[in-house]
Amino acid sequence: MAYGTSGKILRIDLTQGSIQVAQFDEDFYRLYPGGKALAGYVLLNELRPGTDALSPENVLVIANGLLTGAPFSATTRFTMAARSPLTGSYGESEAGGYWGPELRMAGFEAIIITGRAEHPVYISIHDDQVELRDAKILWGYEPEEVQAKIRTELADKRVRVLQIGIGGENCVRYAAVTNELRHFNGRTGMGAVMGSKNLKAIAVRGSGRYHDHAHDIKPISEIGRALGKRVKDHPQAWDLQVKGTPGLVGAFNTGGFLPTRNFRQGVFAGVDNIKWEAYEKILSDRHTCYACAIRCKREVKVDDRYQVSAAYGGPEYETVEGFGGYCGVDDLQAIAKANELCNRFTLDTISTSSTIAFAMECFEHGLIGLKETGGLNLRFGNAEAMVKVVELIAKREGIGNLLAEGSKRAAQAIGGDAHLYAIQVKGMELAMHDPRGKVGVGIGYSVGEYGGDHLYTIHDTLVANAESITFKGTEPLAIAALPPRELGAAKARNYTILENWTSFGKVVGLCYFGPAPRSYMQVGEVLAVVRAATGWEDVTVDDLLRIGERATNLARAFNVLNGFSRKDDTLPERMFQPVEDGPMAGASIDKEEFQKTLDEVYRLKGWNPDTTAPSRDRLRDLDIEWVADLLGV
Amino acid sequence: MKLHLGSYLSWYVPQHPSRMEINLDKPILLAELVAQLKLPVEEIAIAAVNGTLVSVREAQISDEDIVELHPPNGGG
Repeated sequence: MAYGTSGKILRIDLTQGSIQVAQFDEDFYRLYPGGKALAGYVLLNELRPGTDALSPENVLVIANGLLTGAPFSATTRFTMAARSPLTGSYGESEAGGYWGPELRMAGFEAIIITGRAEHPVYISIHDDQVELRDAKILWGYEPEEVQAKIRTELADKRVRVLQIGIGGENCVRYAAVTNELRHFNGRTGMGAVMGSKNLKAIAVRGSGRYHDHAHDIKPISEIGRALGKRVKDHPQAWDLQVKGTPGLVGAFNTGGFLPTRNFRQGVFAGVDNIKWEAYEKILSDRHTCYACAIRCKREVKVDDRYQVSAAYGGPEYETVEGFGGYCGVDDLQAIAKANELCNRFTLDTISTSSTIAFAMECFEHGLIGLKETGGLNLRFGNAEAMVKVVELIAKREGIGNLLAEGSKRAAQAIGGDAHLYAIQVKGMELAMHDPRGKVGVGIGYSVGEYGGDHLYTIHDTLVANAESITFKGTEPLAIAALPPRELGAAKARNYTILENWTSFGKVVGLCYFGPAPRSYMQVGEVLAVVRAATGWEDVTVDDLLRIGERATNLARAFNVLNGFSRKDDTLPERMFQPVEDGPMAGASIDKEEFQKTLDEVYRLKGWNPDTTAPSRDRLRDLDIEWVADLLGV
Repeated sequence: MKLHLGSYLSWYVPQHPSRMEINLDKPILLAELVAQLKLPVEEIAIAAVNGTLVSVREAQISDEDIVELHPPNGGG
């Protein structure tokens, strides 16, 4: 009986050069239906606590979600997970594009990679034909060339290539992984893990169909077609298609919570030069991911003061703002170039730009000087220096070698007050969302398993007004409409529910831009598709939330076993200090109130407020009591 | 006056313009302009006149003003 998956997992030991196929059954899949849940299960069971993230012993899991590859918008994503070389915690990053669906068509749900190859290799998967191939001649080359060389070598232009650039080869601790040159597993340094294993790429080609393992494809196809037609009829989906994420820059600036100059300010004087109306002038095309009608991906091309290739896509909001206002740069050409370089070198644009902003603040405070920067005047606003440092980081040259370690490690090396300017949690740099303007995002930065990411939860602004279409999309989740800056028990409850919903998306391969409240796919439609894919007619919305909660508990248990506790669930000191200017001038997070809210989050989650370990009762409720045995609770 | 409709607010207006220029013979309430354009007030999360945040219901606008309206948004 089909239940949405082939149940096949590839196991590849790069040290031994061995390739095996494992199989899981439906009972297993009910608990761990892909993505984050499957990754958490494998890492808890197979990765010894304390393992060096860049050692051969680290385990890299690449896992499709339950819905990845469905003929349905926003169901393209796959998870990469391992111990993070940036944070030392559970590390994870999702990407869209085409690679995950292709792996599904090849008949595999996940790949578990261990060991380290003696020399650079790449993995070739063509349906059930799997082999390790020599990648010595690919090492050091950029993704566009590597993709072309692999397609030529395999004599197949339709092979989908997941790969690292030189940032990954050089084990930059926040190196990303790219597929099709313009889709990224950006955060937590999964590219460095690949690089440490001498694994350059994974090429996949499949001849199967999603339909092969779906319980009932008809409802999935019908809702998928309806969603395709509805994109232009729904304001949020239309906005994602027409403007994409760069449209956020102007709104956040007007609201006074656009992270500017390393989170010191909330408005950027040069915003007119980087917001959507300026971006449109370098926009060269719009793209999408597999079977997705939303088409939110941008492509830019510049042939002026900077040359920017269209091959590597275009900057998203995070990148425009990270290399823009956050570094004090209002030169959109330079921002586009920095984005292109990050994509060529496979560096996470958020951590790269944030680490450069950290260095800029250190430079302005005299903690580093021209000697350390190799003569670069690394002040806020120096676009040319910013672009140069991206290259230095990828190549680990000069100041780049220090900054390739991430802002937390760099601050420790620099000393003095440098740690105050490293705006990170658990070692990962905050995304371009100011928690002083939306505190739920701050709760996520704090309790999220790998630090400063913005996609643990739904942002407070979307669920502040009970009459808005964004809030109405959450009605089946039974949350309350709350002001974005309000802390307290009600916000803690909202957070836990919305974190479970977002985590569920990471388990089943849903893009953040598909479902409500960020976009137009209604909760009921998601439930209908899960039921059709699996045949689990008894599944409810509460069960979807439990799927998400279970995955979060697996990741939390991983962290506890690796020495993380309440002291690591924090925010940078700057978030407790007032914004310097703009409409939010003077706004800060009340430290005591924030801690009280975290207490309530832990209580609702059933986690110990000191160790943050999930309780046995909660783990039993989630049908993963075996985790309590691991934790000794 | 100059009006900027951020993000998906422009979806509600025919032709979906992000920017509009509107002649105002006399000062009016921002709420009146919102009603005239048939913008759903519940979708306006941020309203600013000449860079200062205002209440849609209470703010008065005149022909020299630059008005920005943005819907709830987050995550990207």
